This record gives sequence, structure tokens and C-alpha cells, in this order.
Amino acid sequence: MRNRTRVGWRRWVNGVNLASLVLVIFVMAPIYWLVATSFKQPAQIGAYPPTPIPLHPTVHNYRDAFFKYHFGVYLMNSVIVAVSATVVVLVLGTLAGYALGRLPMRGKVPILMTLLMISVFPAIAIISPLYLLLKSVHWLNSYQALVLPYSAFNLPFAIWILRNYFLGIPKEMEEVGRLDGASPLRTLWSIVLPQARPGLFTAAVFTFSACWTEFLMALTFNSVDAYRTIPVGIALFGSAFVVPYGTIFAASVVAVLPIAILALVFRRSVVSGLTAGAVKG
Amino acid sequence: MTVPAASALSERVSASGVEPSPPVGRRDLNTKKLARLGWAFSAPAMLVVGAVTIFPIVFSVVLSLSHVAITGNGFVLGGFTLGNYRALLNSGRWRYDLGFTFGYTVVTVLVELIIGTAFALVLERLQAARGMMMALLLIPWSMITVISAELWSYIYNGTYGVLNAIVAPFVSHPIVFLGTPVSAIIAMMVADIWKTTPFVTIIVLAGLVMLPDDLYEAAEVDGASGWSTFWKVTFPLLRPTLALAVLFRVLQAFGLFDLPYVLTSGAPGHATESLALLGYEVMFSYFQFGPGAAIAASTALIVLVVCLAFLKVFRSQIGSEA
Repeated sequence: MRNRTRVGWRRWVNGVNLASLVLVIFVMAPIYWLVATSFKQPAQIGAYPPTPIPLHPTVHNYRDAFFKYHFGVYLMNSVIVAVSATVVVLVLGTLAGYALGRLPMRGKVPILMTLLMISVFPAIAIISPLYLLLKSVHWLNSYQALVLPYSAFNLPFAIWILRNYFLGIPKEMEEVGRLDGASPLRTLWSIVLPQARPGLFTAAVFTFSACWTEFLMALTFNSVDAYRTIPVGIALFGSAFVVPYGTIFAASVVAVLPIAILALVFRRSVVSGLTAGAVKG
Repeated sequence: MTVPAASALSERVSASGVEPSPPVGRRDLNTKKLARLGWAFSAPAMLVVGAVTIFPIVFSVVLSLSHVAITGNGFVLGGFTLGNYRALLNSGRWRYDLGFTFGYTVVTVLVELIIGTAFALVLERLQAARGMMMALLLIPWSMITVISAELWSYIYNGTYGVLNAIVAPFVSHPIVFLGTPVSAIIAMMVADIWKTTPFVTIIVLAGLVMLPDDLYEAAEVDGASGWSTFWKVTFPLLRPTLALAVLFRVLQAFGLFDLPYVLTSGAPGHATESLALLGYEVMFSYFQFGPGAAIAASTALIVLVVCLAFLKVFRSQIGSEA
């Protein structure tokens, strides 16, 4: 790409390829082991030395996850919680992001800075008061017990991302809408929002995956099996003496698949979100 | 030589910061109305965020300074005390966990930064399949921590773990990797580094791609070696990007919970117990909400200090926003 790579490019490219291969192995080896183990017979899973590839592959573990354990319930709960929180975040985040990006308010900078700090706060800091609060309104073991905190923790990032996108949209477009007599909400919906589509994708993907993977709050607030999400369900599979790795890994493959696919399909959104702080400020 | 490029960088960053103030003369009734609309639009979001984060944080501080008694359907605050914090300072377990969390954070972030940057430099030179590599990096990033913890506990297993099969030719007997404090800590760090190095790589790669090309050409003309080009040109320009990656990672690592909860439960002994794990256990296994809140509040305070320190760096990046 750059000129400097031209000098002795042959040696360079070989080195680069070798290093890239190391990277691929570093990332993929544990993933391979996860997937391979999930298709192994129970006897092979606890065998030593382990078999590198699953001989006589079976979906036995997958069947166990759904029928012997309640993985289907956890999957459903995760979907409900993650989708609800994502919708809440997108709606509230769009309104707030638009206001903080485009409307002449005072105190925008302190608000934005506070949001930035909240978004990186460790969940452990608020877990006990939140637990007591949810308990006092009888919200423990419910979907809203997770949807509310998940929305709150993901809103700051969504607001920052969306605000950045709104800032980049030409003001004239809004003026046109306003001259046509459209209400601000209508202008936002039909003129501004379509332009900020990539920002919405980024905010949605990040919120969804954060909800999908969150563990501490899900573990604490929803202790009843019927309201457990995937991470909690997987962490609590089995007993203190028997760890059913086959079932765990089968469930894991099913759990990781949607989020991996989401990340791959929306690769651009994810990368732009990850680097939003670094690149956009 | 670096000056024009550096100022170009800061210009670009500040350009995308805050909008310029509205033209004078149009500050009329309309502006006021729009401002009120702005508050109306942001109120719901701020209400949710405030209710779930700011209010509990304040409440947490209050709890940590009170005698707390749990009753059948709630709790009672029984007056002001510094006892919860005194109990922490006197607890060897808390002091160890504080040190462990600190050390763990420093080591993992440092290693992730070095490996992550190295990988980013490699990927930047990669001629083909860069998009595919990027996709690959997103897999560990999108992994549920609980799952990677289960996976690594299987890999480390002392009886049938694959790592023992790999090191078998070099050792006399199977190793229980999670059995001794030092090996358990290292094992946990490796699991963490595997999952989060790709995140650092992606951020650094994005920073690298944005660096101006002409500087490298100048360095090449000057006959600078690759190593000195990196330290004299790349590194200084990359510093803001690296600072941000470090900030995110430090804050995340300091809240460490999922990985030790599943991988080691803090064992052996309390060797791999993080502050968050201790706080959770004190609050939800011992039901000591006062001391638990003290652990949580002090952890939050440390995070806040780190945050504010980094915000200084960050602010100078944003430019005139403040």
C-alpha cells in the first residue's frame, strides 16, 4: 500500500503473511475447540488425550441443551430482553442525540461528559442499590428488571454515536422541512433519521450485543429459571461436581452464532462504533 | 516535521467535535422554543439514565456510610458510620483483591496493547484479505465472556484439558493450571488477553490507517529503519488512539467479574478474586449491604479518578469543546 513496502517487498510480504497466520491461529484455535467439542460423543469429551476432530459427530449435545436443560427458555428470554432494550435505546437515544447535536440547549458539554463517564462505569458500583430498588417495586425476576438497566447503560454510547451522525447532516435539509411547516418530530423522522441510518445500525448492534452478553445484572436480578438469560443459564449449567461441557458448548455455539453473524454482517458499523471515540472524538 | 501533521490531525478531530455557535442575530424566540424542545427530547433518556445510574451511585455512597439491616421485605438504614470503610481497610482480603485487580489490570492491558499494536501493524501491511481478518477479529470480541470462561476452563482442565496434551512432551506429569495461585492468575490473564486483544487491534488499526502517508515517505528518504520509524513517527501520532484504547480497557478490566466467576470462582483460595467478585459475594452471599456498598463505592471512586485523569487527555483531543 505505502511506498515503504516496496523495499524488499518479497521478504516483507512473507513476514506479514506468517504473522497473520499466527494471528489466525491465536484467534481461531479456541473457537475451533469450542465447535469441535460440541459435536463430540460424551465419552470423547472427557477422554485423554483428547481427539483432535470429532469422530462420529453427533448433535446429542444440542438435543440435551434444549430438552434436558432449559436452553430454549434462556434463548427466548435473551431475545426478548435484548430486542426490547435495543428498541428503547434507539427511540430515546435518537431524541436525545438529536437534541444534543442539533438543538440550541445550554449545558450540552457537561451532559455529554457525564454520559461518557456513565457509559464506562463498572456495573458492580450500582448493583446493590439497584437490587434493593427493584426489590422494593417487586420487579425482581421480570423482563423489565433487565430492560431498564440495559437501556440506561447503553443509552450514553448510542447518544454519542447518533449525535455524531446528526452533526454531519447538512442543516439546510432541516430548514426545508421546517419551511414546509413540518413539526420538529416529523422533520427528525422523515428527513434527519434516514440520513443517520449507519449510526442507528451501530447503536443497535452495540446495544444488542451488550444485552446479549451481560452477566452480572442478569445473574443478580433474575434468579428464577424462567427469567434467566443465556449467559446466566450457561454459567449455571450442571452442578458443582459435574460440568456438562458438551451441553455447555452446544448451547454456546447457538448463543454465539447470532451475535457473530450480526457482527460480520454489520462489520462496518461495528468497526466504526469501536473506533468512534478514537476517530471522531 | 511532525508539527504540520500533528496540527492537521488535531484540526480534523476538532472539526468533528461541537458545532459552531449559531450565527448572531437569529437568537430570538425561535431559539428559545427550540431549546425547550431540546430538553423535552432529551428528558426521557436522561430520566432513564439518571434513575438507573446516577441515583443508585448516590444511594450506594449513602449505603456505604450507614448501618444497613435487611428485613423481610426491604432494608433499614440505621444511622451514619464509617465502620464499613474501616472494615475494608482492616480486611486483608480486600487489600489483596485491590492489589490483584490493580496488577491484573496493568499486566493485561499492557500485554494487550503490545500484542494488539503488533497485530495492527501486521494487518496494515497485509495486501489481501484484510476485510476477512477484520471479520475474524470480531469473533472473540462478540463472544459472551461466560462462554469463553467455560471454554478456557475446559482447555485448562487438569485431567483431560487439551493444553495438558499440548505440553505433555515437556512436562513429567499433567498440570492443574487452575490449581496454584500463580498459574491460575496467568491462565486467567491468557483467557482475557485472547478475548480482548482483537479489540485493541481494531482500534489501533483504525488509527494507523488515518496517519498521513507523506511522513513515512520522508522517514524513508531519511533512511530511517522500521524500528525507529515506528518510535519516532508512528508512536507519537498514535498516542491519542492508544490512550483511548487504554482508557476503555482499564475501566473494563477494573470491573472484572464474569471471567473469575465462571473460570475460577476466585480460587485457589482467593488468589484470583477481583474487587467486583468480592463485592458481589459480600452483598449477595453474606447479605452485608453496608460493607458491600463500601467495596462498590470505593471501586467506583478509583474508576472515577482514572476516568478524570484520562479525560484531560481526551479533552485536549476534542479541542475547544470545553
